Amino acid sequence: MPHSSRQTSSNLLVLHSLRCIGFAGLARIADAAGLPESDVESELIDLARAGHVSHTPGDFGGWGLTESGRAADAVRIAGELDTVGARTTVAQAYDAFTPLNTELLDLCTAWQLRIVDGVARPNEHTDPVYDSRVLDLFTDFGHRADVVCAELSAALTRFERYRVRLTEALTRARSGELDYLVDRFDSYHTVWFQLHEDLLVTLGIPRDWAAADR
Amino acid sequence: MTWIHPLSAEVEETANVLGSKGYGLVVLHRLGMPVPPGFVINTQVCSDFLQNGRFPNGLDDELTNAVADLEAATRRRLGGSERPLAVSVRSGGSVSMPGMMNTILNLGLTTEATAGLAVETGDPRFAIDSRERFLSSFAAALGPGRAEVPNDARRQLDLAIRAVFSSWDTPRAKTYRVLHDIPHDLGTAVIVQAMVFGNRGDHSGTGVAFSRNPNTGERTPFGEVMFGRQGEDVVSGRSITRPLSELAEREPAVWAALLEALQRIEGHYRDACSVEFTFELGRLWILQVRSGGLDGRAALRVAVDLADEGLIDRREALLRISPRHLGSARTPRIATDAADILTRGLGASPGVAIGKVATTADRAARMAADGPVILVRPYTSPLDMHGLAAAAGVVTARGGPTSHAAVVARALGKPVVVSAADLTVDVDAACVRAGGRIVAEGTFITIDGTGGEVVIGSPDILTGTTDPQLHRLLAWADELSGNNSHRDEGERLAAAHAVLSRQP
Repeated sequence: MPHSSRQTSSNLLVLHSLRCIGFAGLARIADAAGLPESDVESELIDLARAGHVSHTPGDFGGWGLTESGRAADAVRIAGELDTVGARTTVAQAYDAFTPLNTELLDLCTAWQLRIVDGVARPNEHTDPVYDSRVLDLFTDFGHRADVVCAELSAALTRFERYRVRLTEALTRARSGELDYLVDRFDSYHTVWFQLHEDLLVTLGIPRDWAAADR
Repeated sequence: MTWIHPLSAEVEETANVLGSKGYGLVVLHRLGMPVPPGFVINTQVCSDFLQNGRFPNGLDDELTNAVADLEAATRRRLGGSERPLAVSVRSGGSVSMPGMMNTILNLGLTTEATAGLAVETGDPRFAIDSRERFLSSFAAALGPGRAEVPNDARRQLDLAIRAVFSSWDTPRAKTYRVLHDIPHDLGTAVIVQAMVFGNRGDHSGTGVAFSRNPNTGERTPFGEVMFGRQGEDVVSGRSITRPLSELAEREPAVWAALLEALQRIEGHYRDACSVEFTFELGRLWILQVRSGGLDGRAALRVAVDLADEGLIDRREALLRISPRHLGSARTPRIATDAADILTRGLGASPGVAIGKVATTADRAARMAADGPVILVRPYTSPLDMHGLAAAAGVVTARGGPTSHAAVVARALGKPVVVSAADLTVDVDAACVRAGGRIVAEGTFITIDGTGGEVVIGSPDILTGTTDPQLHRLLAWADELSGNNSHRDEGERLAAAHAVLSRQP
């Protein structure tokens, strides 16, 4: 089946998903890539043969990227960006992303810690007024973040997956599954963290250069 | 209407008008402390500016007069080519909040003024260093894309004031206000003060000093100092700081003045205090004061000690301790007195963890099969997540308490220390370095996610509430409530609070 130019190949999509989410099992990679597990497994086997990924067996096992996989991904994902001509759009989106990232980290921290009498202590989640305030701020944030994700998706289809996953996490949190804010591998913060990594990798920005205090 | 108030002992305005930082400086003046001369632009100006998008009528004239007064007091000229006046511009709301513009240093150092400062001090390197600090703090305050710095000192001042006011409405600051019930129309003050230069050679410097150890409550001055540097370096953790006690050896006169200042300030607030200070050519200046704000065992110890010292009575000591303090006092902490401290960062997820150093996530995951591991990284990315999950605790050299690493560690319920600024991680050599020492991968370390200590080996850990201070405080509580039955600590405290609330 022919790919439109903004569509990333399955092979690169699997490699790049692993690059952005880190060491993971098949199900999480498939969820990040938005592909069926069987397709993902087949691509992983090809990638392993090329020396780009390796599999660790056992209860805590899963798939991880090798150094060569990391290098290959950097080259291929930058190549895709320029082939599609999306560098300017993605760079602009990253500029919009940066202050949002700071804001989201503040919100996650406010969910986890509460400042009382000038001292930050773990939020025991015993004050529904405070918690619903934080949740409302997450919702408002979600709308503004979605605008940036939409611009990214228009430039490169693979970014659409972040919109879907972020929306899913926030919807679940709002319906009472509060661990979808920061406490899970598919929580809003985790997906956002991966989007952050994706933007840095895609634009070739080393993390130590990116906003010094993040 | 007066918009601007000189920093002096005679100012009568409240903290709501002056902001808490500005008000604190007025208190310091009243106590006879050495405070650099300056003035405060009050919070009402901010509210007006945010409403109308411009300075209120009459402010320009008042600002001109205030600058002229400051020039007269210092016998200097803002932006002048001889004896130039340089100022710091700081925000000063009634509470500090994230996202607010913090400080611009050395404002007024135009190219001419910098040349003038070089001639006056005979130290061109110092003058240029000061100008560079100005340029970078100015650019940071005005935000990306507006990096052009006017070479007119008054214009610089106008822009800096606007930047402070505008930062009141950043999304981060707004979020903070929503979360903490702070009215949006409160506004921030702006503090303009003559610069004192911590970067003027070896007998100059800057630091933060606590009247009592904020980790333990012990009655020993505690803090950090940097020689030959300016203030922002301490706060941002960009530079390597030295323990405050080094000041005693290197600048005994400054040390003595600082101790006296801390004691007098404590006497006024009747509580543990901290100050930001600078010393220039061996002379001490106090730039900011804070009181209270301690937690857990430190808060308990300070309350009991202050009662013993007669600064407060036992009732006041009881009132200062809330059930929340008792809760925090149960958090395990490293007993630091005999501990071999490798480095210190910021605690961002409370608790103590002990384990072998691992420098990569893959190694942490592997090593965790044989026992607990502490993952030590420069910063974290999603590629470190499985290492974080496998580790008992995490240390990062960079990133603050709201970094991704801190958020993830808290979500996993693991102690984390961030901003351990002098720590470097050498993955290839499988070791970490800090304070001139090398710690090989596999070495046992212990971290404290409250105090931010990273300690070599297995120090003593304070757990539970075995503190003598706690038992004394609770004995006072029982005495007051007249109830000596065996109860939960929180109930004993609450019973005393109930009695106190009924008494005038």
